[in-house]
Amino acid sequence: MEFDKKSLLKLGKLARISISEDKLNNLSKDLNSILEFVDQLKEINTDQVDPTSNSLNQALEVRDDKVDNQNSTEDVLENAPEKEMDFFVVPKVIE
Amino acid sequence: MKNNYTLKSLATLLENNKISSKELTSEYLKNIESGKELNCYNTVSKEKALIDAEKSDERRKSQNLRSKFDGIPIGIKDLFCTKGVTTTASSKILSNFVPNYESTVTQKCDDAGLISLGKLNCDEFAMGSTNKTSFFGPVNNPWKSVNSNNKLVPGGSSGGSAAAVSGDLCVASLGTDTGGSIRQPASFTGTVGLKPSYGRVSRWGIVAFASSLDQAGPITKTVEDAAIFLDIISGHDEKDSTSSVNPKENYYENLNPDIKGMKIGIPKEFRSDKLPASTQKSWDECADLLKINGAEILDISLPHTMSALPAYYIIAPAEASSNLARYDGVRYGLRVKGNDLIDMYEKTRSEGFGDEVKRRILIGTYVLSSGYYDAYYIKAQKIRSLIKSDYVEAFKKVDAILTPSTPSTAFEIANEPSDPVQNYLNDIFTVPVNLAGLPGISIPFANDENNLPIGLQLITNSFEEQKLLNVARNIEETINYSETPEKWWLK
Repeated sequence: MEFDKKSLLKLGKLARISISEDKLNNLSKDLNSILEFVDQLKEINTDQVDPTSNSLNQALEVRDDKVDNQNSTEDVLENAPEKEMDFFVVPKVIE
Repeated sequence: MKNNYTLKSLATLLENNKISSKELTSEYLKNIESGKELNCYNTVSKEKALIDAEKSDERRKSQNLRSKFDGIPIGIKDLFCTKGVTTTASSKILSNFVPNYESTVTQKCDDAGLISLGKLNCDEFAMGSTNKTSFFGPVNNPWKSVNSNNKLVPGGSSGGSAAAVSGDLCVASLGTDTGGSIRQPASFTGTVGLKPSYGRVSRWGIVAFASSLDQAGPITKTVEDAAIFLDIISGHDEKDSTSSVNPKENYYENLNPDIKGMKIGIPKEFRSDKLPASTQKSWDECADLLKINGAEILDISLPHTMSALPAYYIIAPAEASSNLARYDGVRYGLRVKGNDLIDMYEKTRSEGFGDEVKRRILIGTYVLSSGYYDAYYIKAQKIRSLIKSDYVEAFKKVDAILTPSTPSTAFEIANEPSDPVQNYLNDIFTVPVNLAGLPGISIPFANDENNLPIGLQLITNSFEEQKLLNVARNIEETINYSETPEKWWLK
């Protein structure tokens, strides 16, 4: 697989990053170089190997379901770029 | 001013009332001011630091100290959330972010009475090996080559943390290490950088990059200081579900440089014709020295070493693309206006992230996308298992592994390769340690022909930080590395 203009724009859509026309060439060059580098793993046989997602051999802990006073409405909204009453404000979604 | 301050020596000076916390803090704030050209700090908390220092001096008078190290000023990588103090991850997208909570690690520093001088520059979202991806500009290495006046990279991503310790803009600092981001800059600046085992130090409140690899640790002047600092920041934290329940040790109190009978492994896969002769020489000399001091040196094999870096550049971007999805212009950080909601997301993220961060998000999105998930992401996780089992096998035979920390010493800022893959090779010796979740330390060993520091890396099995520090202390005690950079920025 090679990143061309079309696939790159699609990837940008998936990642919610707009890519301007003048950046497309360099970006596809860089991403193709990275992909070529990681593609060397294909040569290694891993048929009998289980994946490791985390190096810690420890089961996730169960904790008591306690109420605490973290994350109050004021705290959560404190850094919002735009807010109204107790809500985050975003551009209109419904026509 | 040439100073020999360490956490250990400052604790004694404070205890004997030779200096007050306020005097000490003022001295470092002066160094920060005169060292502005190094660009180490994104934020200097001048007023807060002086108030905190005064409070520490009062605690000392009333014999109500929080710890032996109460009143010592440190620097904090700008990746740790600090309540009321801007936390940017060196990114435009977080340049206005003031957290209303404190990370567990920085809270532990405060609980020990340490004073924060401010937030240290780093690569954007800790993605980089030169500190050049920072929105606030590159950090300059306090070291310069004897043959050139050109500025050198301090390494990265904890470039500001390493340069600040090396240049006396703080006595010790906090960094984070996802693929070498503590050890590589420590190696480039002649400092000691410790990456603890995955799970040894809480990740709660640290801006996330790759959650299965990220780990916080100290950058210090000495191995003793690394042990002291690890004592302060380590331990189980119920707020981090991947924090280990293994009890921590008293690393400083139990520091024992006796290595008689220990087995030290030299992995053949780390050997390379491309390694500079001076680095190879240091590596050989260090093995000889450990032998003289009573250890047995064994050749070992870590067969999948060369697969670590490509596996890392699938796993880390995949986790980063998920973690960085939260920066959408809605809840905090930068918002750029758009025609509709999607347009707002896309413009915010396009303007808010730098080029390297975008590259990694796009690669991460790609390897996780439908049709490529198994071929890339699962494949890389399987390689990760192979790398981990290499180390499991090795530690059946040896106590510790000795390697170079980096494939070169610090290079010129202007000479950074434009191809991202060439840059990724900086972390070739450090990345496997993160994938396997092991502790690693970089210690300065000697200077090369250009008078630039060469770092060596030690690795032990998971949660064997004590053994790691003991071997490192043995080397430190024997060689007594005491090189310091000429302070060119003061002229």
